[in-house]
Amino acid sequence: MDTLTHILNGFAVSTTPINLWYTFIGVFLGTIIGVLPGIGPSAGIALLIPVTFGMNPTSALIMMCGIYYGTKYGGSTTAILIRTPGEAASVMTSIDGYEMAKKGRAGAALAVSAIGSFIAGTLGVIGLTIFAVPLSSMALKFGPAEYFTLMLFAMTAVSTLTGKSAAKGLLATILGLMIATIGIDLQSGQARYTMGIAEFQDGVGFVVVVVGLFAVAEVFRGLEDIYKGTSANAMKITGKLWLTKEEWVRSIGPIWRGGIIGFIIGVLPGAGGTIASIMSYTTEKRLSKHPEEFGHGAIEGVAGPEAANNSDTAGAMVPLLTLGIPGGGATAVLMGAFIMYGIQPGPLLFQNRPDLVWGLINSMYIGNVMLLILNLPLIGIFVQLLKIPSGILYPLIIAISVIGAYAINGSMTDLYLILIFGVVGYVFDKVDIPVAPLVLSLVLGGMMEQSFRQAMTISGGHPKIFFSSAITITLIVMSVISILMPFILPIMKKYKEDGKDE
Amino acid sequence: MADRVIFVGILVLAGVYFWATSQIPTLEIGDPLGPKAFPRLLGIGLLISAAMLLAEMLKERKAAPSTQEPEEKEDTSTVKVVAGVVVATGIYFALFELLGYAVSTMLFLLAMTAYFNKGKWWTNVLTAVLYSFISYYVFSSLLGVNLPRGVAPF
Repeated sequence: MDTLTHILNGFAVSTTPINLWYTFIGVFLGTIIGVLPGIGPSAGIALLIPVTFGMNPTSALIMMCGIYYGTKYGGSTTAILIRTPGEAASVMTSIDGYEMAKKGRAGAALAVSAIGSFIAGTLGVIGLTIFAVPLSSMALKFGPAEYFTLMLFAMTAVSTLTGKSAAKGLLATILGLMIATIGIDLQSGQARYTMGIAEFQDGVGFVVVVVGLFAVAEVFRGLEDIYKGTSANAMKITGKLWLTKEEWVRSIGPIWRGGIIGFIIGVLPGAGGTIASIMSYTTEKRLSKHPEEFGHGAIEGVAGPEAANNSDTAGAMVPLLTLGIPGGGATAVLMGAFIMYGIQPGPLLFQNRPDLVWGLINSMYIGNVMLLILNLPLIGIFVQLLKIPSGILYPLIIAISVIGAYAINGSMTDLYLILIFGVVGYVFDKVDIPVAPLVLSLVLGGMMEQSFRQAMTISGGHPKIFFSSAITITLIVMSVISILMPFILPIMKKYKEDGKDE
Repeated sequence: MADRVIFVGILVLAGVYFWATSQIPTLEIGDPLGPKAFPRLLGIGLLISAAMLLAEMLKERKAAPSTQEPEEKEDTSTVKVVAGVVVATGIYFALFELLGYAVSTMLFLLAMTAYFNKGKWWTNVLTAVLYSFISYYVFSSLLGVNLPRGVAPF
């Protein structure tokens, strides 16, 4: 019955005025970051880390998680009114949401995405509450070998699922791990790959990598669009910000289904909010009695995907909090934030800091209520943000990134690094190398090497330890399958089609 | 085309990384694996990704042999604009500690908005001046973030 006490205590933590205030700041910033194209949750959280230094970790983490799930609410607004997803996961919303707006139903589209987000977001947090304890007590039995193989699985899944090409996903993962090896090796005290740069002895900070890859690179892309003249104007909100009875009836099923799909996808490593919303969209289209309406303003095409990408965020918190292993780019940045506050997420956290964990989880219930209010009656305020000319917005994002990067160490090296990683991110985007796997493996790299070496020390230098328990074998098999998946799938498909022909 | 460049790039990087790994001095005390073992695995991982990329390239060629090399030509002026932004940002950073946060940021914003938000002089100047000085005040005075003062008189 310990857990129940912890959960109730968590509510006491999350409802203290100071934490309510930081929940609000988090979801408020999250909505802004979601609405604004060009800056997403990863960059937003990374930029805040140096500024929030010295804050109470519980409050700081409550705020950063608020940004994470808040962006999903804000992203839909931009998708509906400009047809550009303000946040990657709202890409499906931009199809039918924009069509609804063109037909004068922008109000209904915004309403259904806010309500759907709220229902599914809350559903997701309930799921997180239920699964957290059993999963974390299971993870307590994990040794270094289990952890190593678990990270291996998370990385291979992310490699093959995030981009168009599994090879490039793997390349990004390895690059992240390689960056993680830069600096003094803690076990032997040897400097590695520092290239004679003194600042590199402490390693390359993940904040500068994230800011470069996600914020600065996005600015380069955005300015390129302005130059090409492809940036669009926002539509006006038309129609009441509420649903008709018929729209309600059509939306409620997709919201529930989307919520469940999103949560499951969120818990699994690799896939993430974008894939969750695509899956929800195709599910709804298949179940619909009038699939021809999809793409021309079907409300189900907004309700389902929006629900899915919100419960996905709660689902993604499950492996982060219970195992200490994030399953995607944005949660990897959150993990980085945890570590910078000296807090190691994972099963022990539930034992040692139940106040922090449950305060954080329970703040998500409150944050979702706040987001519903911000994104329904008050959405008009945030829509004003879309009037900021992008020619001003993008240069400002660089200036903001400069503060974030310089604030960490007051080092010019960090500034030049965000520029270098900005260029890298821009080029990677052009050649379809995904950056999320790089961030994930950069954050996990140090831990991964450590657990690898610990496991090898335990076994006296023999790799058989990675095949010694059912858990490690399962995880290794799953890693191999996820690497081979892109090669197996087409063959299986062909086999199936051949079978049909006969 | 791009994939071939990446393929060669991976091989070069793997070579450099293996070489740099071999340069790490090791003392075989206590830690049986030493600081080189994990990086060597990463080097092998790089080579695996190169092999996978090669497989993907061959598969693609097989799938669409007729549409080989229809590379749409990227407008070179776009590349020039992005390169210009990169250079401008580099200059901004070069002047950052010399002129200080507020002044260098103001100049950067003025230059960028003059090009990307053409003709809106009032808005641009107002944004650049207000943003750089207000953010300097908020971050360095209120939040205690260490930003270079440079030539700013306060």
